[in-house]
Amino acid sequence: MATSVMSRGGQITYCTYYFTCYSCRLFAFHKPQQHFIHTSVSLDVNKNWDRKNLQVFPPQQPGEAQRPAEVHHCRRQIKYSKDKMWYLAKMIRGMTIDEALTQLQFNDKKGAKIMKEVILEAQEMAVRNHNVEYKSNLYVAESFSNKGKYLKRIRYHGRGMCGVMDKVHCHYFVKLVEGPPPKVEQKTGFDQAKEYVEQLKSRTIIHSL
Amino acid sequence: MAMSMRRALLPLYRIQCHSLKNAEASLDVRFPLPFVVPVRTKKRFFVPPSTKIKAKMTASQDQEANTRAAGFVIRQEYMERSINIACTAGVFDPYIPPEGDARLSSLSREGLKQRTQQIKQGAASQLAIRKIKEHDPEFTAKSFAVKAQEIFVEAHDSLTQFNKEKLHSLVTERCYPEMVRGNRYKTLRWRFVESLEPPKVVHARCPDMVTKGNLYGQVTVRMHSRQTLAIYDRFGRLMMGSEEEPRDVLEYLVLERHLINPYGMWRLHGKIVPAWAPAKEPVVKTIMIPGPELKPGEEFEELNYEVPKPKAVQWHK
Repeated sequence: MATSVMSRGGQITYCTYYFTCYSCRLFAFHKPQQHFIHTSVSLDVNKNWDRKNLQVFPPQQPGEAQRPAEVHHCRRQIKYSKDKMWYLAKMIRGMTIDEALTQLQFNDKKGAKIMKEVILEAQEMAVRNHNVEYKSNLYVAESFSNKGKYLKRIRYHGRGMCGVMDKVHCHYFVKLVEGPPPKVEQKTGFDQAKEYVEQLKSRTIIHSL
Repeated sequence: MAMSMRRALLPLYRIQCHSLKNAEASLDVRFPLPFVVPVRTKKRFFVPPSTKIKAKMTASQDQEANTRAAGFVIRQEYMERSINIACTAGVFDPYIPPEGDARLSSLSREGLKQRTQQIKQGAASQLAIRKIKEHDPEFTAKSFAVKAQEIFVEAHDSLTQFNKEKLHSLVTERCYPEMVRGNRYKTLRWRFVESLEPPKVVHARCPDMVTKGNLYGQVTVRMHSRQTLAIYDRFGRLMMGSEEEPRDVLEYLVLERHLINPYGMWRLHGKIVPAWAPAKEPVVKTIMIPGPELKPGEEFEELNYEVPKPKAVQWHK
């Protein structure tokens, strides 16, 4: 932050250094400038998922239970179908991070490789920036995919008819939380049947004598 | 010229002939009507004959030479952006704190000797203080030490509150990123409990940057105080330190001011950490240290391996 900053008294600039660069605008004689601009998705994308990583919680009292660390990560405009991605996202929901990574590593789908990269990036971010102690102590709390911006092309049909061919893209979002994954209660058929019978037994006629 | 024009426009005439009726066609085959060029396609920009704009827009010195020969003078366009530098990049000739400072009590003989040594600063420091007094007549070592402590306390308070504007006025641009880096999404709780010894000016230097007259004054102040620090991460969990337990801290602060500038302020520029300083307290969580590089086939022997410790070198932050 070496630019002049208005302080209480005001700072007069005594040392100014000029950086000159010769450029000619009338006729473009120089090579077309290599602008190393990062090409990314257009600006009207919803950035709420990334902003969730910037939320700061107030310090906890010593008596409170420790709040588990959460990391939100996403990848935009993946060249894959959102429906095909959904199958993989549904598969890893609720798994520990190591389990999820092994399952994705040995899955034959194209989206599995991309998802594995995303989860590894998120793990790295968690350990480095978000004060997560053990990198294996994470589980996948949320994982879903949705539609990205499609490119439209012409699909040629017979008899001179055409249709619109969508070049599908998808976004993939993942949320990793520190700690062991919550246990999902497995309801057996017998338990469900028992519940049903109890429901039937507890029926009464209201407003009766 | 007419013949060449005719030859160029022959296909157009042929198309015209096709559209004309047969009777007229027999008459006008040899002497067609003049072809009218629509005005819309008339070239409107002027291209000097020597330059070839139609050629690819690649940089070539011949093109530049041609234009210069044709008499086209291109004025140099300067893309300038001024940068104002208000602080130096580091600590010049840093103070080397004597070993055993604040380890011995002030009542013992060695302690007194050290104190007298501290008070009798080196000759260069005296010269520097004299130079500073030229530009700032109200400068005295005693009053400045007190002011330095006030600046320190205010700067750290505004860091906990994260008041950017106030922090910039109390801390130089070199020190600001070091104070702030990594703390953006963390909560800091810092408290200055009390000062154990009165602060003392220990060292002074007046380096000049780039040009001869551009003077900056750097003064080192020794401070022994009690402070509490607690750092909480993004989720409110304690990362380091504790809020209740105060610690005795011996610090060497470097304050800087741009002396020539009449509106310059004394601002915190950095800290000097001596080589004999005790190691920092470890963070609450466990961290992985990268192990030694193994060749393929080698195995990691835990018993023989010692975690490498960094060298004890004085560094200034």
